[in-house]
Amino acid sequence: MSFIMVKHIRKTFKVPIKTEGIIGSLKSFFNRKYRYIKAIDDISFSIKKGEIVGYIGPNGAGKSTTIKILSGILNPDSGSVKINNLIPNVDRKKYVKNIGAVFGQKSQLWWDIPAIDSFNLLKDIYKIDDNEYKKTLNELIDLLNLKDILNIPVRLLSLGNRMKCEIAASLIHKPQVLFLDEPTIGLDAVSKKMVRDFIKKINRQNNVTVILTTHDMKDIESLCKRIILIGKGKILYDGSISKLKKKYDYLRKITIETKDKIDIKRNYIVKEKKFDNKIEFTIDIRQIEINEFIKLLSSKISIIDIDIESSNIDDLIIKLYEEFEI
Amino acid sequence: MLYFKYFKIHTKCELEYKMSFIMSFISQFFVFFGYYFTIISLFSKFSNIKGFTVYEVLLTFGIIQFGFAFCETFFRGLDKFDDLIVYGNFDRLLLRPRNILMQAFCEQISLIKLSRLLQSIIVLIITLINIDITFSIDKIITLIFMLISSVLIFLSIFILTASYCFFTVKGLEVRNILTDGSKHMAQYPIGIFKKGFVTFFTFIIPFGFVNYYPLLYLLGKSDNKLLIISPLITVIYLIPSIAIFYKGIKKYSSTGS
Repeated sequence: MSFIMVKHIRKTFKVPIKTEGIIGSLKSFFNRKYRYIKAIDDISFSIKKGEIVGYIGPNGAGKSTTIKILSGILNPDSGSVKINNLIPNVDRKKYVKNIGAVFGQKSQLWWDIPAIDSFNLLKDIYKIDDNEYKKTLNELIDLLNLKDILNIPVRLLSLGNRMKCEIAASLIHKPQVLFLDEPTIGLDAVSKKMVRDFIKKINRQNNVTVILTTHDMKDIESLCKRIILIGKGKILYDGSISKLKKKYDYLRKITIETKDKIDIKRNYIVKEKKFDNKIEFTIDIRQIEINEFIKLLSSKISIIDIDIESSNIDDLIIKLYEEFEI
Repeated sequence: MLYFKYFKIHTKCELEYKMSFIMSFISQFFVFFGYYFTIISLFSKFSNIKGFTVYEVLLTFGIIQFGFAFCETFFRGLDKFDDLIVYGNFDRLLLRPRNILMQAFCEQISLIKLSRLLQSIIVLIITLINIDITFSIDKIITLIFMLISSVLIFLSIFILTASYCFFTVKGLEVRNILTDGSKHMAQYPIGIFKKGFVTFFTFIIPFGFVNYYPLLYLLGKSDNKLLIISPLITVIYLIPSIAIFYKGIKKYSSTGS
C-alpha cells in the first residue's frame, strides 16, 4: 500500500487578461476577460514511505501547485489525494499534523526573535507534550548543530543558518512527510551541502518521506533516487535518475589537441568543431564506445592532449526540456 | 491558551525595538486626544446638541473608541488580513492544525495600539465621574453591555472586511466605509442625525444598539427595560460575519488567489 497516493488530479486557474496602457487597464477594470490555464492536467503518482522524490520541472510547470494540493492548501478540481489514508479537505487538522513544509521563499519563523521562541510556539500550536518536545528538539539540535544559533534573533542569522532553523521548525511535530519547496535557493555551496546532508539524515533516521522541488540538479543527484519530471502540468518522466541518464545522456564531448590534420566522417559523430589546433567531437556513445573512438583517432593522428567532458545533469535536464518542448 | 502564547511572542517582538516602541506608544497616546478636543471645543460654542450634553456625547464617543481600540490591539491580524493574502502567508495558517479564524486573530497583536485603548478608558472614567447619572445596578449592567457590544460589533466588522479580501485580494477602501466612516458617525448619539442614518445604524450596521438605544435608558430618557439588553443584538451580527469568513476560505482553497 502506497503511503502517498495521487490520482488524476487536475487544476485550472482563471487568470485575468491584462491589456497594456492606462486605457487597457481601465477597460479590463470594467470588462475583465479571463483565460484559463491548466496548471495541472491529470497527474497521478504514488510514493512509498521513506522515499525521497525529486519533483522537477521548469518554472510554471505546476510544481508549486502540486505541492499546495498535496499539503491541503488547494483543492484539486478533480481527482484525489491521500496521505497515510487521510484526505486533506475532509479533515484538515488531522491531515496537516502529518506533514511539514518548507517553502524556500517564505518563512515560518518570527523575524525579530530567536528561533527557539518560534519553536516553543509551534509546540503549543501542534499540542506536543513537554517530554516529546524536549526529545525532538534535542535531536534536531544535535543533527543540525543548532546549539549556537538558536538564541540569536532570526533576522541576524545567515541565510544558511536560517534555512536550518526553518527546516527544524517544520520537523518539530514529527511529520511523516516533508515538503521542501526549493530548500537550497540562494544558499552558498557549503550551506547547500549542509542542508542536503541533513535531509538525508532525517530521511534515514526517522524514515521521513521527502518530496523536494528544486532547480539545483546537484540536490537531485545527491538526494533522490527517483525523480518526477513535469512540464505544462503533465508528468513527463517518473523513475530513477540512472535510467534517465541511460535514456537521454548519450552524447559526449571529446576535445583533442593535435598538430595533424584529420578528416573523418562517421555517423556517430554528431558534431565537429575546429579551432586552432583543437578539435571538439560530439559523439553518440550508444553507437561507439569512447575507447574505440580514441583508438581510431590515435591510429590516424598523434594526440597531444585529450579532454572528455563528463555528463552534467543540468545539460540532461535542458535536453529533456527541449525534447518535450516545455 | 494559544492566544496568550502568541501575545507573549508579539510583545517580545515589539519590545525588540525599545525606543521605537516607546515613541510610538506615546505619540499614539497623544495624537488621538485630538478627537476629544474637537468635541470639547464644539461644546464650548453650543451647550448641547439636540439635548445631549458634552459628557453624554463623550460617553458615546468613548464607548466606540474603546471597542475599536480593543479590536485594533487584540485582533489586529484581521485588520491586516489583506497583507496575509497578498503575500501568500495565508497558506501557512492552512498548514497548521488549528482553527483558522483564531490563527488570523493571532497573526498580529499590537501593543502600541494599547495606548489608544488606555486613552479611551481614561476618557470614559473622567466622563463617568462628571456625567449626570445616578448609577444603579441595572445602569451599570447596561454600561457593561454597551462596552461588550462595542467590541463585538467591531470584531464583526473586522471579520467581515477580512473576508472581503478572499474575494478581491486587496482590502481596498470598502473597509473604511464600514469601519472608519461609520465609526465617525457612531461616535455621536445617532439620534442627532437624520432619519435615514438612524435606520442605517439600526438595521444595516447596528451601531445604534451599541451606544444609542441603551444610552437612552442610561440617561433616563426611556424607561424601557428591554434597552438594557439591546446591546446584545450585536452578537447576531457576528454569526453571519464568521460564516462569510469560512466561505472565503473555501473559495481561497479552490482558486488559490
